[in-house]
Amino acid sequence: MFRHTALRYTALVLLAAGALFQAFTAEYFGLEILTEILILAMLVLALDIVAGFGGMVSLCHGALMGVGAYAFAILSTKAGIAPPVAMAGAVALTGGIGWIIGAICSRSHGIYFIMATLAFGQMAYSYVFEAPIFGGDDGLGGISRLDLSIIGVDLNDSRSFALFCLAVLGAIYGASVLILRSGPGRSLSGVMHNEQRMRALGLTVWRVKADVFGLSGMIAGVAGALAAQHILYISPALLSWTVSGEALVVVILGGLGTLVGPLVGAAAFVVLKHELSAVTTYWHLVVGLLLIAVVMSRANGLFGWVEARWGARIERRMADATRKQQPEEVLSDA
Amino acid sequence: MAHDLGFWILQALNALQLSMLLFLLSIGLTVIFGLMHFVNLAHGSFYALGAYFAASLAAVGGYWMGFFLAPVAVAGVGILLYSGLIKRMRKSGPMAQVLVTFGLIFVLLDVTRIVWGELALAIDVPALLSGRLSFLGVEYPTYRLFIIVLGLGIFAALAFVLGRTQIGAMIRAGVDNDAMAACLGINVERLFFIVFCVGCALAGLSGAVAAPLLSVAPDMGLQILIPTLIVIVIGGLGSLKGAVAGSLIYGFVQTFGAVLAPGLASVLIYALLAAVLVIKPVGLFPAKG
Repeated sequence: MFRHTALRYTALVLLAAGALFQAFTAEYFGLEILTEILILAMLVLALDIVAGFGGMVSLCHGALMGVGAYAFAILSTKAGIAPPVAMAGAVALTGGIGWIIGAICSRSHGIYFIMATLAFGQMAYSYVFEAPIFGGDDGLGGISRLDLSIIGVDLNDSRSFALFCLAVLGAIYGASVLILRSGPGRSLSGVMHNEQRMRALGLTVWRVKADVFGLSGMIAGVAGALAAQHILYISPALLSWTVSGEALVVVILGGLGTLVGPLVGAAAFVVLKHELSAVTTYWHLVVGLLLIAVVMSRANGLFGWVEARWGARIERRMADATRKQQPEEVLSDA
Repeated sequence: MAHDLGFWILQALNALQLSMLLFLLSIGLTVIFGLMHFVNLAHGSFYALGAYFAASLAAVGGYWMGFFLAPVAVAGVGILLYSGLIKRMRKSGPMAQVLVTFGLIFVLLDVTRIVWGELALAIDVPALLSGRLSFLGVEYPTYRLFIIVLGLGIFAALAFVLGRTQIGAMIRAGVDNDAMAACLGINVERLFFIVFCVGCALAGLSGAVAAPLLSVAPDMGLQILIPTLIVIVIGGLGSLKGAVAGSLIYGFVQTFGAVLAPGLASVLIYALLAAVLVIKPVGLFPAKG
């Protein structure tokens, strides 16, 4: 089960403070980067729930995000539905699709699970690419952002939009913690550690996997709908498998199964990407080498590494404390 | 046109040619996968490297120099990566392997861009194989027929080596149960190394063969990766039969799908993969029962 430690709270507070500072001080370009980080953070949270706490390494989360973006765009522009309703519809649709994928893939494990989710993701990609309603390779434009003028917020302003995304990310983080602490979330952790035992305990394993995968899909759908509103233009590239692969890279670089780690990873990844692409066009090379180094070091990503060091320090301190106590105990025994 | 027999023969030949190209790529991957449970996503990058080596060598010494030396060069790169990286990843889980080889894709992609540049290269079909042949009443490019013949030839050679020779028996034993094979005195590590090199060489060969048909671009490895993975997952890991069946299924579904239902062609193959995974989660002809 997911627990907050002092270190995790500290990291969260620092991240939130950094994001708020950036949101209030940065200029247009800084705000765009912040929004990009926030939306990527939602996607990697969704992926970390299934991959880090359920062992379901999904290569279709990028596609789920793309489905959310396209559903929002189609519903709000072509079907003429009000943006908030369209967004709810898009989230419900991705959740439903996620549930179905989770249910179908629940019997597969390891590399077969990865391949099966990849297949579903590519299926969505090809369909969107070829069906005329989605605009094919040209993508879709003319998307409008949510209208929050009722509460006096104009989302067409980048600063307001970044703050709105931050608020949504905060809500999603809270929801993720709730999901992981709920019955299905705890059962999923059990399934990851020993599927047979959970089955023997009378759990309907496929159902738990499908439920959590569906919830994770809904989060990806929110990320997608916001991504569509961020760039105001969407193309099939959003559904490409490399997006899912990159999301997985971010989760791994940050720290699988820590929920806070992927947030760190998202910030690090986007900043690194922008900094490197300003210096060299070969930023993939650096990211690739970094990924290889992180995986080969056997640390659980950046945040996982910090956590492990922290845990070792506390353990050492406890060991020191018990060593100091022991002579006294011996004395009192005598 | 569509009801003409020649048209169907032409499409069947196209499908066969695509299948054979995929077969050359997938056989190495599937045996590496089956023998050592090693997930090598960078296999597509070896294919791209093969095409680049072939293009460079062809510019120096003609097509055939590229054809024969590109696989050797790719196997050399494979050996370097094996001793530097992959050997250490052998004992880690599939997740770590997927990620390391995913990182390797990024690295190799940019290395090819640095060495050969962004622009697509083109190499010419050799004079011997240019032109068209009349075959079963249709005119068909000689070079594509050459690919079909080459694929069938390699298939026959591999079927012979795997089915009739001692080293083939050792490989099959290793795929079936590597611990038991090691107990019987087979050096499974060395076997894996040999298979890995041959697999890389075949990937390089398919790159060299594909180079005159497609333009040689940095992302060609990424584009071929997904079809190759589909082939081995449909076919089942570790078996020659699976690789052949998977390649043929992919080639024919893709080609005839594009003719009969253009809107659905690419969705069709993924739907087929999903169906196979649901009905037979380990593929059609897995090496292990």
